[in-house]
Amino acid sequence: MSSELEKSAEQSEAEAEVDSFRQDLGPFVVAAEATRMPMIFTNAKAPDNPIIFANDAFLSLTGYRRHDVLGKGFNSLMAVGVAPETMAEIEACFVNSPETDPEIHYRRKNGSEFWASLLVSPVRDEKGEVVQHFVSFVDLTKHKQDQAHCKMLIDELNHRVKNTLSTVQSIVIQALRTPASHETVRESIETRLFALSRSHDLLTSEHWEGAGLHDLVDNALEPFRVVEGRAERFIVTGENVRLQPKTTQTLAIAFHELATNAVKYGAFSNEAGTIHISWTIERGPEGKRLHLRWEERDGPPVVPPSRKGFGSWVIERGLAHELEGTVELSYPPEGVVCTIDIPLVKVALDE
Amino acid sequence: MNSLLSGRRVLVVEDEMLVLMTIESMLADLGCESVTAAATAAQALAFTESQVFDVALLDLNLNGHQSYAVADALIALNVPFAFSTGYGSDGVSEDYRDRPMLRKPYQPDAMARILGDLLAT
Repeated sequence: MSSELEKSAEQSEAEAEVDSFRQDLGPFVVAAEATRMPMIFTNAKAPDNPIIFANDAFLSLTGYRRHDVLGKGFNSLMAVGVAPETMAEIEACFVNSPETDPEIHYRRKNGSEFWASLLVSPVRDEKGEVVQHFVSFVDLTKHKQDQAHCKMLIDELNHRVKNTLSTVQSIVIQALRTPASHETVRESIETRLFALSRSHDLLTSEHWEGAGLHDLVDNALEPFRVVEGRAERFIVTGENVRLQPKTTQTLAIAFHELATNAVKYGAFSNEAGTIHISWTIERGPEGKRLHLRWEERDGPPVVPPSRKGFGSWVIERGLAHELEGTVELSYPPEGVVCTIDIPLVKVALDE
Repeated sequence: MNSLLSGRRVLVVEDEMLVLMTIESMLADLGCESVTAAATAAQALAFTESQVFDVALLDLNLNGHQSYAVADALIALNVPFAFSTGYGSDGVSEDYRDRPMLRKPYQPDAMARILGDLLAT
């Protein structure tokens, strides 16, 4: 009982203080109430810096109601869920003004977190004694979220750059693996870098959320539409389907290798050849699968390659590995056939 | 021909095919004849259950997922391994910081040194 009586005595004292504060400061109180910057005044003469004024912006920042905060010690009000070293930092602001405003991690009344920087400045009476403190806040919550998001983007970017450099390293190592003229080595490196770059452009235009298979085919085969001034013949049939970024990049490299081979030895090395790209989507209990077929027709009679290079490694081994599917590359005399069978929605242990 | 990895069975966990290609050719240069490659954690875990490995290279980031589950399986099986990553070491969780780290893009010398150290222990 006695504690309640005490409390109400404290409360009425605080309220009297608030009233006199309002009267004393007149128009400044109106301005402080209207501004969007969260601010409070505290009484420097009582222990724990009781709050004698709080504007609406402060209440909306902290989630408290006015009667929750008036008369309450600032330090103990803000201490809820705040680390002890942070409290020491806040308390220090009331003793001597620090050179930089501390950025502090607080909790709202409902427990949710916010970041704010804190400026505490003393208000002195005519004798130069500190009678109140003026405390203003800058809400840094959005800023901190942006910073965290930025860091995540930079980490992701670093990862991609390093992987891209590793990919370029692969392309260079493979190009130099077999003896060839400078011209051949240069062309083999350049065309593959451009192929990577084009699939990158396609994914960028789709915000790296993937791409449609028709767009991917158009993008990857774009340099082969016209070869030596002659329009080449691709016949593409299939229902459009969205692919993940990884699938997009991997298939783009495979298409590039198949088309390069067709220009050198296959259906695009004569006047009459055509390339038929067709696919179907199978919907099974474990998700969708893509069955894709690359078939060359009316080219010169096919002779199976005597040695397997970058292209056949990428198609037969790399594609199957990276996309967890099965790939078959065959060389019947009437034209190269490549069949690609891959899951479209990966169901892996860690996903 | 270097014979550091002659007769050794190596597990490579790497999701990017062209990166795998580089690793395989570097391993071949070190005399390795037996490379098993996994693109996902699930595949790698299946391999660790069905095959025996002398050493492993583990990409930290497999298509956006971290590969600690595989690291734990390798630790349980006493298979020495190194992480491979494009990140600095602060990209690795505290628990695994003591593991050797091979940075992308790969340097053949660094790969030989790290694998040599792993096999010597």
